[in-house]
Amino acid sequence: MKNVKSSPEGLTTRRSFLGKIGLTATLLGVAGQAFAFFRSLVPNVLYEPPQRFKVGTAEQFGEGAKFLEDKKLFIFRNKNTFYAMSAICTHLGCTVKMERLNQSKKVKVGSREIEEVAEFHCPCHGSRYYGDGTNYSGPAPKPLFFYKLEVAPEDGQLIVDLSKKVEKDFRLTV
Amino acid sequence: MTMSNAKSLLKKLKWTWQPESSREAGDSVVRNFLLHWFPAKITRPSMSWGYSFWLGTITAVLFLILTITGVFLMFLYVPSVERAYLSVKDLEFVISFGSFIRGLHRISAHLMVAFVFLHLVRVFLTGAYKNGTAANQNRPLNWIVGVILLLLTLLLSFTGYLLPWDQLAFWAITVGTNIASAAPVVGDWIRFILLGGSTIEQGALIRFYVLHCFFLPLFVIVLFSYHMWRVRKDGGLACVDRLSLSEKKEAVAPNKKKTYSLLGITSGSTVHVQTALVDHERHTVDSSPNLTRRLMVVILATMVVASILTFIFQAPLEEAANPSITPNPAKAPWYFLWLQELVTDTTFTVGGFTVNGALIGGIILPAVLILAAILWPYFDRSSVDSVGIWFAKQRRKQNIIFLIIVLAIAALTFIGTFMRGPYWGLYWPWETWQETPTKF
Repeated sequence: MKNVKSSPEGLTTRRSFLGKIGLTATLLGVAGQAFAFFRSLVPNVLYEPPQRFKVGTAEQFGEGAKFLEDKKLFIFRNKNTFYAMSAICTHLGCTVKMERLNQSKKVKVGSREIEEVAEFHCPCHGSRYYGDGTNYSGPAPKPLFFYKLEVAPEDGQLIVDLSKKVEKDFRLTV
Repeated sequence: MTMSNAKSLLKKLKWTWQPESSREAGDSVVRNFLLHWFPAKITRPSMSWGYSFWLGTITAVLFLILTITGVFLMFLYVPSVERAYLSVKDLEFVISFGSFIRGLHRISAHLMVAFVFLHLVRVFLTGAYKNGTAANQNRPLNWIVGVILLLLTLLLSFTGYLLPWDQLAFWAITVGTNIASAAPVVGDWIRFILLGGSTIEQGALIRFYVLHCFFLPLFVIVLFSYHMWRVRKDGGLACVDRLSLSEKKEAVAPNKKKTYSLLGITSGSTVHVQTALVDHERHTVDSSPNLTRRLMVVILATMVVASILTFIFQAPLEEAANPSITPNPAKAPWYFLWLQELVTDTTFTVGGFTVNGALIGGIILPAVLILAAILWPYFDRSSVDSVGIWFAKQRRKQNIIFLIIVLAIAALTFIGTFMRGPYWGLYWPWETWQETPTKF
């Protein structure tokens, strides 16, 4: 019987060529549509709260720590210096709770000794952090993050910038 | 309509369920759509309560209950972050039978996770993922389909308990999507796609809602159909292979409706085939009404037990989702607590380099377990004698390893459920937790 799909020498016949084109066009069409469908699920614009925001004037913060609930952020004040620490556990993102110690405690962090009045503990998997945000027990792989603080020139409010991580020695002097 | 007309109509409707002869029984399977996936005759061992415990059937019945209750819940639930919690509260306190429908949906979901798992344990311990003697079997493939169905069941549960948008939901999404983002390279991208953004908001809720109500159930239905089709193609349950092996081969005249390999007919001077007659009457019964009757018993029992459990265990609804307060302790549902234990215990540090437990316990270990399950049948070198029998001697070592893994998961689940308190601290089950303020 004569092979209608390809000629005896294995050359492409018109029929098999058109068949291949048809199949390729169908597959490309399906792939293109699939791409369009899935691409629509990747948002182009995020209507989310800004990463950089004002948290109030320096006078509004007392000595020690203040927890900004909706921002998951601790703002610390020591006389006229300020710094901001994240309350998001570095393990899996739960919000750590500040546990005030009955009396201040001296702990060794790396080579230096610090005095802490509170610690941060995570309710989800039991990670624990010293008062300076250093992880010391539980599954947390990293210390809590610190963010850049600045003063708004127009009204003197403190501005936190969550997109800018800083070293834990960072201090804003007002 | 006359009396006799009514009687004949009634007979027309129900004869397939109550056939009066073997011939009618065979016809029913061909004629009745609901029965078409059954064989005309079924072997007695396949019907045994004690071989399979009907765990797969129970799972399928639970899925049916979940589908029906789920459709009604879809009419009553609003997938928006402002109204989701309130609509679930309405279900609990305002809508007639709302709390029963939600409770039945929830308890069936819990039971389904349990029964899919038990079904997997049964299949493993009976070596039922192994091919037996019949031609064109592919039981290992069906085992893989089963593993995927187990994963889909877990995903359905996860996406389901997010929907009330209470504290459990919010923190489960937080932890769940952060586990995803612990994956190397693509992790953050996956979290972004799952949430439809970088914060847990409306985009996340609607995605999980559509996955829960449409995509995942659709996958389950497609794979479940294939799972059942394969069981038929593989010649029924694995215990049928066992039966045909134990049966003495007899010389019989070839059956015109069957195909035989040449080896079966070339010996001897007359045309005879050596075959084990498992479809002989002494081993089989008509599917209708014998199989259907047992099926009805299983359906009824599953519905009754699920309904009673619904009254015993009220479905909880925690406080409305609050992104700023993590409950203490924040516990996943019981079937994920072994994973919560794993991500807690697997962070380790090597020379100043720390690997997050989220990656080890949340991604790598589960992936290894799944991969091991998928590949296991291909490394099982035991003979066909260990197909379709509980605790086969040849598979003793395998079964012990498997049971150790099962027990380890059970132990971690127990610890997570009964021995973890505030700040995920260890407590004895009878110990009371220390008082912790929910706010400070």
